[in-house]
Amino acid sequence: MKIKAFTKEGRGKRINQSTMLIIMIVVVAIVATIVNPRFLRITNIINIFQQISVLGIVACGVGMLLVSGHIDISVGAQVSLIGIILAGIIQHAGGIAPDAPNAWLQPLAIPLAFIVSFAVGFVMGIINGIVVIKSRVTSFIITLGFGSVYKGIALLVSGGASYMLFGRFEWLGRSRLLNYIPVPILFFLSAVLLTHVILKYLRYGRFLYAIGGNRKAAYVSGINTDRVILQAYVVCGLLNALAALILISRVGSALATTGEAYALDALASVIVGGVAITGGKGNALSFFLGVVLIGLLGNALIIMNVNPYVRDVVIGTIIIAAVTVSHLTGERT
Amino acid sequence: MQTKNILEAVEVNKSYPGVQALDAVDFDLRYGEVQALVGQNGAGKSTFIEIIAGSIKPDSGKITLEGEEYTHLDPSASIEIGIQTVHQENQLVEELSVAENIYLYNLPKTRFGFVKLATCIEAAEALFEELGIDIPAGTKLTELTPVQKKLISIAKAFSRKARILILDEPTAALDTKGKGILFEIVRRYTQKGLSVIYISHHLGEIFEICDRVTIFKDGRRINTHTVKETDMNTIVQEMIGKSTMSLITRSSIEGLDSVTETLEIHDYHREGLVEHVSFSVRKGEIFGIGGLVGAGRTELARMIFGLDEKDSGSLMYCGSDVTPSDPHDAIGKGIGLLTEDRKDNGLVIIRPIFENVSLVRFAKSRGEFMNLTRERVETENISKQLSVITPSISQLVVNLSGGNQQKVVLAKWLYAEAEILIFDEPTVGIDVGSKSEIYALMDDLARRGKIIIMISSDDPELISVCDRVGIMRLGRLVAILDGDEITEENILKYSMGVGQKD
Repeated sequence: MKIKAFTKEGRGKRINQSTMLIIMIVVVAIVATIVNPRFLRITNIINIFQQISVLGIVACGVGMLLVSGHIDISVGAQVSLIGIILAGIIQHAGGIAPDAPNAWLQPLAIPLAFIVSFAVGFVMGIINGIVVIKSRVTSFIITLGFGSVYKGIALLVSGGASYMLFGRFEWLGRSRLLNYIPVPILFFLSAVLLTHVILKYLRYGRFLYAIGGNRKAAYVSGINTDRVILQAYVVCGLLNALAALILISRVGSALATTGEAYALDALASVIVGGVAITGGKGNALSFFLGVVLIGLLGNALIIMNVNPYVRDVVIGTIIIAAVTVSHLTGERT
Repeated sequence: MQTKNILEAVEVNKSYPGVQALDAVDFDLRYGEVQALVGQNGAGKSTFIEIIAGSIKPDSGKITLEGEEYTHLDPSASIEIGIQTVHQENQLVEELSVAENIYLYNLPKTRFGFVKLATCIEAAEALFEELGIDIPAGTKLTELTPVQKKLISIAKAFSRKARILILDEPTAALDTKGKGILFEIVRRYTQKGLSVIYISHHLGEIFEICDRVTIFKDGRRINTHTVKETDMNTIVQEMIGKSTMSLITRSSIEGLDSVTETLEIHDYHREGLVEHVSFSVRKGEIFGIGGLVGAGRTELARMIFGLDEKDSGSLMYCGSDVTPSDPHDAIGKGIGLLTEDRKDNGLVIIRPIFENVSLVRFAKSRGEFMNLTRERVETENISKQLSVITPSISQLVVNLSGGNQQKVVLAKWLYAEAEILIFDEPTVGIDVGSKSEIYALMDDLARRGKIIIMISSDDPELISVCDRVGIMRLGRLVAILDGDEITEENILKYSMGVGQKD
């Protein structure tokens, strides 16, 4: 822990992370608009938010975990696996597949997909949490391993093939409120709001900060640290289930790799947002701004006609820059 | 032992901001002698040996080694001359073999830079044979006991030319057999001219192995005696010196003797750490626990709080069993622990003051929604009561001074309405002003009927603050001092086992 960074001298130089992010978002928006004025159209803005909704929901779970000093790098594989399972249920029970059972099951297919999705997310959260807590091994390593396990199961279940839904389950990902605001955005904003309430107003959120800041002190202060951490993994798993439902509904098909990119993008978003990798810092606003910046960059690069593969290079560079700058200015410990 | 000196130090000074660590220290060490260096914590022993070992540069003074004069030494020069230090903490690499550890400074290598392990093991075995140590040199260090590791540290010092051997609390990690081996080595080599500086808190050992004894206090050398011509009482007296001024003089609350509401600490035991400790503390009493570092005091406190496992032990408060199973349970039963290391496990220093103050209260409460306005007002009030100096309670704890940080810890337990407070070294690293404020707060808490247990290595503090003082030594509660018996002399004597059998 670098105590020096918190001296009076250091504080003067410190830039508020949220302010820095807003500046960066505005800069990216201005550059993109200059290159292509279509960027600033309201339809494009809505489009961007729709694109980042799934990432945003995953990032809320990842962010709360990171506040407690824990990482879940298996979230991408979780989203993929849940996606495969729910698409499989809709296909088989919903009468798409040739071996579909009786007609009476068809109206229940989607409710069943919902229940199973959340159940699977819940179970994966529990498993990740228990192993991280009991093994005392760095959460990054454990969840890296589980990510591989979940991905493998998704491949085994799907046999590598994609599950097409043929428009059976569109309303969640594709419908718009009042024919205008896409439903996924509403879920994204609700997730951010929920995260805000948890972190700011619930003692549970306070415990997350305390554990991330100093797990031993939190334990001596009477916090059941193991339970709090386990719950954070479960919340993350449930949010992954919601994300998978929206994603599959929007895309209309599921592959064993559909959610893969979300693991790093979600972690990148919250880190760029200003959550210390060691925990104890950050808030819902910072997750939101981090997600917006990452999503904006992807869209801006496409609209500026830049080779899409450049996106990863740019995002990687921004992560390194954000972390380095805030480390040097003493925002993190 | 000859009378010629191998080492002479003249007027060595060393100061740190606010502390004169060494004040014009003169010191001499003869060829073939074992000289003990004794003094309380902070007397300057460590600083002095670090200067001899070359890792600290003195501000002024000169050091003469075998006739050569130096203003200061550096570690490699010091080793070159033949000064070897066996530190209190082993400086060994766990993942390597015994032999590699011993010759780590200069491992025999092949032409291609690979380590010649066989040569290395042979050399180590020859060294062990010579020293009378029976440990297979090829063993990995992780497989050894603490006693064996200590012996390896000692052997390592002998693997290079050793003219002066500095032993810093060598027996703390040794059992009787290991101690026998060490003393045998020391006796044999001093006959061949080796000189030894021996630092120990165990005065008994000094009479067993040392020729002379030098007493340090507050950075000064007080005296040097020939061991045969002195006794333990004289040494203890000189270590204490004139009693230092006490920051407060506290009088027990009225009628404490007739108080029947007590906290009974009954038969706390953990093999090898705490040995069947029992005592009781009355409501309104401050019970001190003195003793040397490593006597099992912190371990006892952690066991009472339910933080560490115990083999046995129960806690009775006013007749009912309140033995906590874990910290959460302890807090629910009104027990608070102000840990020894604030930054390690007392505070979340990267979070604001108010969050730290309210943490235990929220952990204890049931409601899931926090009342932020009330939290703000109440944490602000309690911080003011304890006069935490800060522009705002939103300030991060890391920005506070040590004294203010300690007040935040105390505020946290008071806000959680703890009735039984265990303070573990509450004034370590705290300025004098905050110290007396904390004493005054403790006094006030006792008057309000709280039960207070205070572990301290600061003897004047125990004397001026506590109603009674229990002394722990090697895991045992060896004495409980009351009233006039609470003197620095008694605390030190019982802590060190003077006048008792080891």
